[in-house]
Amino acid sequence: MDRRDFLRTCGSLLAGGAILATGGLLTTKSKGKSGDVFWQIDPFACTQCGRCETDCVLPVSAVKCFHANKVCGYCDLCGGYYRPSVKDLNTAAENLMCPTGAITRKFVEEPYFEYTIDESLCNGCGKCVKGCTSFGNGSLFLQIQQDLCQQCNECKIARVCPSDAIKRVSYDEAYKLKDHA
Amino acid sequence: MRKHKLTIITLAVSLVYLAMLVAWHCYDPSKGFTEALPGADNRPAGNERKADDVLIGEFFMKDSAAATVSGLTGEWPCFRGANHDNIAKNETKRTLVEGEFQDLWSVETGEGHASPVISAGKVYVLDYDEHLSSDALRCFDLQTGKQLWKRWYRVPMKRNHGFSRTIPVIWQNLVVTIGPEGHVMCCDKESGEMKWSMDMKKRFETEIPFWYTGQCPLVDDGVLVLAPAGKDTLMLGVDVQTGETRWGTPNSVGFKMSHSSVMRITLSGTRTYVYIGVGGVCGVSAEEGKEGEMLWSANKWQPSVVAPSPLQIAPNQIFLVAGYGAGGGLLQVDKQGNGWTAVIKDSYKASEGMSSEQQTPLNYNGTLITILPKDGGGMRERLAMYSPDNLHKPVWTSAADERFGLGPYMIVDDKLIAFKEDGELYVYGIEGRSMRLLRKQRIMDEGIDAWGPMAYADGMLVLRDSKSIKCIKIFQ
Repeated sequence: MDRRDFLRTCGSLLAGGAILATGGLLTTKSKGKSGDVFWQIDPFACTQCGRCETDCVLPVSAVKCFHANKVCGYCDLCGGYYRPSVKDLNTAAENLMCPTGAITRKFVEEPYFEYTIDESLCNGCGKCVKGCTSFGNGSLFLQIQQDLCQQCNECKIARVCPSDAIKRVSYDEAYKLKDHA
Repeated sequence: MRKHKLTIITLAVSLVYLAMLVAWHCYDPSKGFTEALPGADNRPAGNERKADDVLIGEFFMKDSAAATVSGLTGEWPCFRGANHDNIAKNETKRTLVEGEFQDLWSVETGEGHASPVISAGKVYVLDYDEHLSSDALRCFDLQTGKQLWKRWYRVPMKRNHGFSRTIPVIWQNLVVTIGPEGHVMCCDKESGEMKWSMDMKKRFETEIPFWYTGQCPLVDDGVLVLAPAGKDTLMLGVDVQTGETRWGTPNSVGFKMSHSSVMRITLSGTRTYVYIGVGGVCGVSAEEGKEGEMLWSANKWQPSVVAPSPLQIAPNQIFLVAGYGAGGGLLQVDKQGNGWTAVIKDSYKASEGMSSEQQTPLNYNGTLITILPKDGGGMRERLAMYSPDNLHKPVWTSAADERFGLGPYMIVDDKLIAFKEDGELYVYGIEGRSMRLLRKQRIMDEGIDAWGPMAYADGMLVLRDSKSIKCIKIFQ
């Protein structure tokens, strides 16, 4: 092996090793294991201030609205679904609280409706959560979507959270869900 | 060569810009968007909801908080209390708490002036939930302020000095409310279970006053007395347990609904429901067998806006008062043979005698107590005491710096409690025909429009401004 081949081989090994190591680390991180910690929102401490939408390092926040079906009242007049003082209770855009159309609902039986969150559309603004918490059962709540979260060493949202609702919790406790409370 | 080069570069740049312009025009950023249109929730056809589709008592939510087992027995069951005089009497006379009055709890409300009633350790208030555009009957624990349950129904309204107005009435196991748009709702007071409802606006074609319904429901011996003052019906009696109509009074006088409430007054030995409507004042028989019979009416005193309720000041005399320049009036009602006469004996401007804008004055131990209105001349907004013999000259007034605006006032034992409209509480000792200031304390730091009447029971005073309700311990 001449000098040129030797260097090429070493470079290839180094690059391949780095790729494998990164992949392995990412796999380990995304799987999680006992002892690991993750950023989580305490839904009972959250005040829906709106910072989750604007302060996450991601272009679209990793914080999403979650729905606790066990807690939901399946109301027709839902404070998280409709904007305040709407004229008509229908699904026209001008009546809806969610700015991205991430909440949909389906009629179940009079007068109940089932609500569903489309996480891909949710930007974590928390407007629906505020409405549901203030005027309903509080079944909608904000939580960090773990497969999107970068697990920053210092969560940028946690730094500005006025109610100190975002904390690192161990892998064993995640998620903090309302219907598991 | 150089010239060609420049031409080529210019053409190339132009083409690039042209391509970008075309692309910009052709690109549709909303491609892939889905329109949010009515009907996406699969709601069955024919079940669409409109703004005025009011289903009274439609929604209910029981809170997880448990009621305190307190054994409290105090009652403030309706507008102006059990005796309809705005005077509370403790079983044994109590003394004021030492030091400052303590805050026990406070809750946020929708903007408005609806006040609570108290029954057996629970507080009931017909709030307006702005977010849900709904009238909401809320039940709280008197000791902790924790909400126990809420029953609400959607009534979209526009803010007009807030939304909520009225005070519920408790009768045995029931609580009855009248919403700002004239919706009557009856529920079980413990469980919140819906019993019956009535839409006065739809049923009687009532014209709801500009500042919404201020009428507080009255229950007299199991009969709910309502004054829809609609197209055909002036007043009616309803079985409070079932909602069935017992009697009705035709609106022969053509009165319209005011902000005033029906009061039961005994005149010359005859039990009478007295109502000040827009158009005049009338008396309707409450005597058994003659319920609903119109006894008398008078239209010589008819302000366009009336909030205070009629106040009896002598066996055959009723004091009438209204704000916005109307002033006061004295109505004399006499029985003559089989008929009645109702004559306005005196009528004067607010600056010329006893008057009030929103609150109904007090009749206590031979004196009449009021807070004079903003147009009450030099004594405007001061607490004043009058003799029933002379409604033009007060026998006592509060000091020049003790002015209360449109705030409420009531008597507990021998103490007058006045709540200034900015949230400061004054307690006076009543000493014959004068009063002495015993204590004053700011209760709400930034109180706004504290106009709703207060409720008292078991040593606790429940009061409100336009955005919150507060409970304080006031007596030992």
